[in-house]
Amino acid sequence: MRMTRTTRSAAVLSLALALATTACGQGSGGSASSGGSTGGAASGSAGGGGGGEGATVAFVPKLQGIPYFEAMNTGGAAACEEIGCTWLYQGPVEADPAAQADIVRSFIQQGVDALIVAPNDPDSMAPLLKQAADAGIKVATADTDAPNSVREVFVSQASTEGIGEALTDAVLGAMGGKGKYAIVSCGQTAQNLNSWIEVQKAYTAEKYPDAEIVDIVYAGEDQAQATQMATDLMNAHPDLTGLVGECTSSAPGVAQAVQDAGKTGQVFTVGLGTPQSMAPYLTEGSSSASILWDVENLGHLTAWAGVQLAAGEEFQASNDVSSDITGVTFDPATKVLLLGPPLTITKDNAGDYDY
Amino acid sequence: MSSSTLAPTDGTPPGPRAHTATARGRVLPFPITGQEIVLIVVIAVLWAVLAVATPAFLTGGSIVPLLVAMAPVALIGIGMTIIIITGGIDVSVAGMVMVCAVVVAKTMVGSGVSLPVAVLLSVLVGGVLGLVNGLLIAYGRVHAIIITFGTANLFEFLGLRIFGGSTVNGIPGTLGFFGRGDAGRTLGVPHSFLIMLLVAAAAWYYLRHTAGGRHLYAIGGDADAARLAGVKVQRRVLSAYVLTGLLTGLAACFVIAQGTSTLAPNVGTGMELSAIAAVVIGGTSIMGGRGSVLGTVLGALLVQTVTSGVTQLGWRSQLASLFIGIFILIAVGADLLRQRARRTA
Repeated sequence: MRMTRTTRSAAVLSLALALATTACGQGSGGSASSGGSTGGAASGSAGGGGGGEGATVAFVPKLQGIPYFEAMNTGGAAACEEIGCTWLYQGPVEADPAAQADIVRSFIQQGVDALIVAPNDPDSMAPLLKQAADAGIKVATADTDAPNSVREVFVSQASTEGIGEALTDAVLGAMGGKGKYAIVSCGQTAQNLNSWIEVQKAYTAEKYPDAEIVDIVYAGEDQAQATQMATDLMNAHPDLTGLVGECTSSAPGVAQAVQDAGKTGQVFTVGLGTPQSMAPYLTEGSSSASILWDVENLGHLTAWAGVQLAAGEEFQASNDVSSDITGVTFDPATKVLLLGPPLTITKDNAGDYDY
Repeated sequence: MSSSTLAPTDGTPPGPRAHTATARGRVLPFPITGQEIVLIVVIAVLWAVLAVATPAFLTGGSIVPLLVAMAPVALIGIGMTIIIITGGIDVSVAGMVMVCAVVVAKTMVGSGVSLPVAVLLSVLVGGVLGLVNGLLIAYGRVHAIIITFGTANLFEFLGLRIFGGSTVNGIPGTLGFFGRGDAGRTLGVPHSFLIMLLVAAAAWYYLRHTAGGRHLYAIGGDADAARLAGVKVQRRVLSAYVLTGLLTGLAACFVIAQGTSTLAPNVGTGMELSAIAAVVIGGTSIMGGRGSVLGTVLGALLVQTVTSGVTQLGWRSQLASLFIGIFILIAVGADLLRQRARRTA
């Protein structure tokens, strides 16, 4: 505590700057799919492991320890159990591109047969994918694409149009096809969320002329913040009848705000929320529907795609992956394997999923 | 700041041998500082402007959630103020919120405990974590920012362990007493805000009017001088961190009540910085020795007013960050100027 005057002033100024730049910033990055920006150190090291034979498929999520990617892991491990492959799953504890790159490098060193990544930073991942391909490893992306890379396929959960239109149809279906609604999004720079919002804007204008998006706000991946912002939006627009929660923290957040304000039945909400987190609100009525995809099936499809690549098999225009996952389309032009239309979760089927 | 005419009422040690006796004459600061008056004016102006711009702003439906939202930050800020007055800092409170929240949420889901039990559990867990910080800082003789940076990571690890890679779902509404809903209000006044105010009032009285409170300022002013004057420095410092732990435990209950029925592993993220922002905007000197909890409460209120105001006006969300950043820089700049003025006086 014995500091000179200069060091003290310098320390104060640097702390102030740190506060100004980071303290109050909204959580920026973040995947729509991920529920949190901090990861799970708890999950330990490389987990997974399906059957011991066949190809070795490694999947590197944006971060491990969050329910979303753990569900993908469950699906992938089950797929390898079924079709006979070795499933490796390891991700960084935070959604950090550098930590993720280290894990990718270690899988390249291990010489896995297929390497599938959900990149935190698609641009910095591209050269690493090239390095893997040069080492004879089949590379692919899943959940989040790296379009400017050498990846041979992108395993996509749902199309941008599919999500945007499903969200719009769900909220306006509940609102009776007209009225004012607002969107509570999360990270301001999250590419996938922003592209869904673009679709929502265009589709609302085109299909629902009597409806209007009055505001789009960004709450970061913070439930309490999403709830507060939804409350503020309802106050600022007394005639608001709809709210969309654009990610897994906002979706229950907007429903909670409606419930707290006692406006269930007057303001309708939909969002991209996991079934378990939305179940109480779907039952209570403050949430009308949740739009998502079957995350375990996405993991299953990812593992299957890895095995196909490793075996040098071509994808068909329509692929039947398992008894549960049929008619998966493949677009040879964009090299995108599409899981299917988004899943609409209501109070009737929310209990069918354990994530 | 003018020197006060209040006479010393307790065993406050005299300040370090001053170069200028007149500037050191005061023992108790004026009940309300210049910065607090400025904050009150700024908040009043903002509220007036918002009331005109968006008619719904000055209604119960808008103000009550605002007060509920600022309560946990202000509550942690009260503890943080006391720590910063002693010349320390605690950057581990976000990790503490996470650990307390997940322990309480899991307990409520698992065994459906009652409200008092849940609060007690959370406060207790927070107190233990605060004790860890306090022991390391008071007796480890390493600067608080290093220690709490370390424990922040430990707490985060612990929290993630308890979360076990999953969210906690289906949290019962036990803590609705602290929430935004009807259960969270009595006669329109939100409980969480009221509790925070009571804690703030107690802390304000303690810091101003008791020997123990004055000792905290003395430690922040010059720890060695305070020690020579007979202040039990280590014990005081330890108690500041334990108190912050206890308050953070209570704040974690508020956070659960404000969230949804699902608790995600990123709970608490950034709260240490929100709390420090409230403290700094409130005029507490980051170098220790000066500050007040009233300023911190006003700082938290200002931050939440700006955030809610930006949303209600329909402005871009990132403008809130800009405004808060400017407020912090102005507050720190004002503090540095005051510091310089005092030296050259």
